[in-house]
Amino acid sequence: MVINMGNIQAENEEIQKNMREVARNLLNDKKVDMIIGYAQGTVPLSSSPIFIRNVEEVDNLIWDNLCYVNLARYVVPPLTEFVDNEKVNLKVGIVSRGCVARSLIHLAKEKQVNTENIKIIGIPCNGVVNRRRIEKELGEKEVLELSVSNDKVIVKGKDFEKELPYQDYLNELCKTCKVKSPPMSSSLSDVIVGDSLEVTSVEDDFADLVNFESQAPDEKWKVIKELLSDCTRCYACRQACPMCYCNLCFVDQNKPIWFGKTSDISDIIVFHLVRAMHMAGRCVGCGSCSSVCPMGIDLKIINRKLEKIVKERFDFTAGLDLEVMPPMMTQKMDDSEDFMLGEH
Amino acid sequence: MVSNKMKERILEKDQIKQFHEDLARYYNFYAPTKVKGNFVFKKITNPDDIDLNYLNSKTPPKEILFPRMETLFTYKMDGKEIEIEPRTDLEEKNIIFGIRPCDAYSFNLLENFFNFGEFKDDIFLKKKENTIIMGLGCNSPRSTCFCTSLDYNGHPHRKDDVDIFLTDLGEKYLVNPISDKGKAIIDKLAWLSEANEKEVQKAVELSDEAESQISTELDLENTADILDPNFNHPLWGEVSENCIGCGTCTFLCPTCTCFDVVDEVDQYNDKGKRVRLWDTCQFCQYSLETSGHNPRNSKIERCRNRVLHKFSYYPKNYNMIGCVGCGRCIQLCPVNNDLREIIKKINLIKNKSKKEEVTVA
Amino acid sequence: MLSPYIPMLTTIKSIVSENEANDIKTYELVFKNKEDEEKFNYIPGQFGEVSLIGKGECPIGIASSPTEKGSIKFTIKKMGTVTSAIHNSEVGDTIGIRGPLGNGWPVEELKGKNVIVIGGGFAFSTLRSLIYYMLHEDNRADYKDITVIYGNRDCSEILYQEDLMEWEKREDIDVALTIDCAEEGWDGRVGFVAPIVEAVNPSPENAVAIVCGPPIMIKTTEAVLDKLNFQPEQILESLEMRMKCGIGKCGRCNIGEKFVCVDGPVFSQAELREMHGDR
Repeated sequence: MVINMGNIQAENEEIQKNMREVARNLLNDKKVDMIIGYAQGTVPLSSSPIFIRNVEEVDNLIWDNLCYVNLARYVVPPLTEFVDNEKVNLKVGIVSRGCVARSLIHLAKEKQVNTENIKIIGIPCNGVVNRRRIEKELGEKEVLELSVSNDKVIVKGKDFEKELPYQDYLNELCKTCKVKSPPMSSSLSDVIVGDSLEVTSVEDDFADLVNFESQAPDEKWKVIKELLSDCTRCYACRQACPMCYCNLCFVDQNKPIWFGKTSDISDIIVFHLVRAMHMAGRCVGCGSCSSVCPMGIDLKIINRKLEKIVKERFDFTAGLDLEVMPPMMTQKMDDSEDFMLGEH
Repeated sequence: MVSNKMKERILEKDQIKQFHEDLARYYNFYAPTKVKGNFVFKKITNPDDIDLNYLNSKTPPKEILFPRMETLFTYKMDGKEIEIEPRTDLEEKNIIFGIRPCDAYSFNLLENFFNFGEFKDDIFLKKKENTIIMGLGCNSPRSTCFCTSLDYNGHPHRKDDVDIFLTDLGEKYLVNPISDKGKAIIDKLAWLSEANEKEVQKAVELSDEAESQISTELDLENTADILDPNFNHPLWGEVSENCIGCGTCTFLCPTCTCFDVVDEVDQYNDKGKRVRLWDTCQFCQYSLETSGHNPRNSKIERCRNRVLHKFSYYPKNYNMIGCVGCGRCIQLCPVNNDLREIIKKINLIKNKSKKEEVTVA
Repeated sequence: MLSPYIPMLTTIKSIVSENEANDIKTYELVFKNKEDEEKFNYIPGQFGEVSLIGKGECPIGIASSPTEKGSIKFTIKKMGTVTSAIHNSEVGDTIGIRGPLGNGWPVEELKGKNVIVIGGGFAFSTLRSLIYYMLHEDNRADYKDITVIYGNRDCSEILYQEDLMEWEKREDIDVALTIDCAEEGWDGRVGFVAPIVEAVNPSPENAVAIVCGPPIMIKTTEAVLDKLNFQPEQILESLEMRMKCGIGKCGRCNIGEKFVCVDGPVFSQAELREMHGDR
């Protein structure tokens, strides 16, 4: 079911109602022991991931355009596993917009998540608002309330009110999103409840990268340097990403020490670029990394560029199909080898 | 320390350039400025960059005197001999201009901490000694500010921790000399005109108005007493459930001081330095021992450690709560893990005797 | 104000391998600067932050006793980055020390008491310092009976074998060595430390037990001492935590509000029971 009422607010209410209904049924039928979703944030421009265990709590689940955390994060290491007292794995329902479901599917392929223990509660996402951009543009004024109406985002403060065009103020990655609902293929019919899309591959012209790609290498280097210069190495981006589940991240290793931990620009760039390489073929473009960054660094250029390279080389998009082996996990004899130096 | 009361002055907003020019000659002049949309404190070379039209800076001003990366000493190698060179720049004079009262108080906290015990952190203390703090009152506190709830008589216009205090009257600032150091500076800037009664009165009104706007009130009177016997309370599992274990709350906290120490080597030139870097108890390697044992193995222990550190250990060791009420952790936590909610939950616990402690799974 | 972060430089005078596996060595260090040596007044149980400049620092208990003048000894096991680098050093190389740090064994309060020193494995180094100190002719009269119980996995792992042989010959100290399992050529006691403590059966009267070793050994020994009626105030332990600054500033070694590097590493059982913390 695709909801397109042209009226974001009405869409949100419909989505929220359906989602709660699905959640209630899952808990009542004991198909899941716990549901991970979003609750109303206690601070403007935020939402809070919650863990629901009783039907009575289902009405705490919300959907608005500020649900930016990728909830798949909570079912992978190194966060605490959901087990009961007899150490039996709990069955978990996860409120999933398209990208969250794609994360779960890709993680299942990487054997980090057992599809038997997961129920993807699909919702047809209508976008996540770019909270960092709004904060930066309003700067000295505190936003106390954000609401959407028709196709506008309305921000209110103590003594101001402003209307912003909805499509414009979405997260950058949401603007190029092609998979708004969880992708469904035959083997996943058991897993997904609620809304989903039949999709096994996407078309993408990557038009948003044209500007960056047209620049000379040293210009590109300047762009990247400028982008990452105020990184504080808090690792919120890494911690929020469901694909970053290594028990010991490469930056934390000390036998040997691969890279520096300092906040020198060279160390910062190395961290982000190497992490991006680890994301190649795995990033689903959820934008969590950029939404959680306290300094508002938007990593979309780096992630989108890698997504494009993987699409061109391997015709692969992460998290669409449980049947397809991700290119970074396999080697085929006809894999492109144009990086090899030939005997010309 | 306050000998004779000096009359307040007026600093017109278009005089800030002159203000900076006169002082930057002798001092490293730090002030808030907008960098890629974020307000941060930077050393100002061009006074047009100064922007006091802000609620509070993203990164706390502790980074001026306790930077993210700081050299402890440098060294040179000559065969088997090593020569160590300590810091030589600690005598430089600094001005921190336009800092909010909560952040100004954080410097008190930091100074107290680094001065505590047998070993004094000379690097921070020397820099602090050479620093003049010029505060700016908050006319419009954020919804997440709670300086008035804390034990240090916090107030959006608190003047106790600064050398000079400014109040934004609209087109100009009222300049209040507080300490002797502050008065000495004002003396040097003889071109500052004197303030009149009306202006002084307006500042008082703005101060009262600001206080009434603080919407977050926390009851912290009994929190320290409730925390100690409830170390193993299941509440810690609840409040840490959605934590993702990043370092945002601690890196952006004005009072967090934990650091890591690493040696950086320039082996081609036979020299190097030992640096300290901000570290956080929220990372899992923070307390990981070489044997593999980790006393704080899960996020429950780590989240608990942060709250206890500020609201239980600090009061026990230094007789003060280790929080200034700036609200950054509340505002910037990526998963909206709200300290105010945690405090409220803690206050709801009735004191349990030690025998009734419940172990967290 | 001298910076507490700047190490004093020393030269390695000698390196002695303590075990057959050759991964535990005792380094004897001599200060390059006479003034540093005079300032470095320590008591047994304290530790130093040992630097291999360029690689890093690690906290190591001081193995020598303050009565052994002229040099400082550290017994270092090869475990991590810094210790491995130190193991690659040779006589004549430069090592940095910051210290002395920590509170040390309470040598004053132990006076007039029977001291039972219980060690396990590699954790014996600060116990060596304490025993040497108490046995010194200036100090021996201050202490009553000294009993040493020291257990190891096997006899190739026993540290300070020469010192132990000297002590076994003395009349004024009782030494009981034990290894976990019987071995050819070993005619001493066999068994884990805890049952040997029970067999030796020290009296709790006017006594203090000092326990230092791996966590499991400490746990079982505590249980035995409890059975023998030792009060929590009579049992002292030396804790280990990850440390960086060693001076109570970097924050990581805290147990509750106490820092192991400053308020410890020596704590009594009574104090440990009061401490709510993770360790």
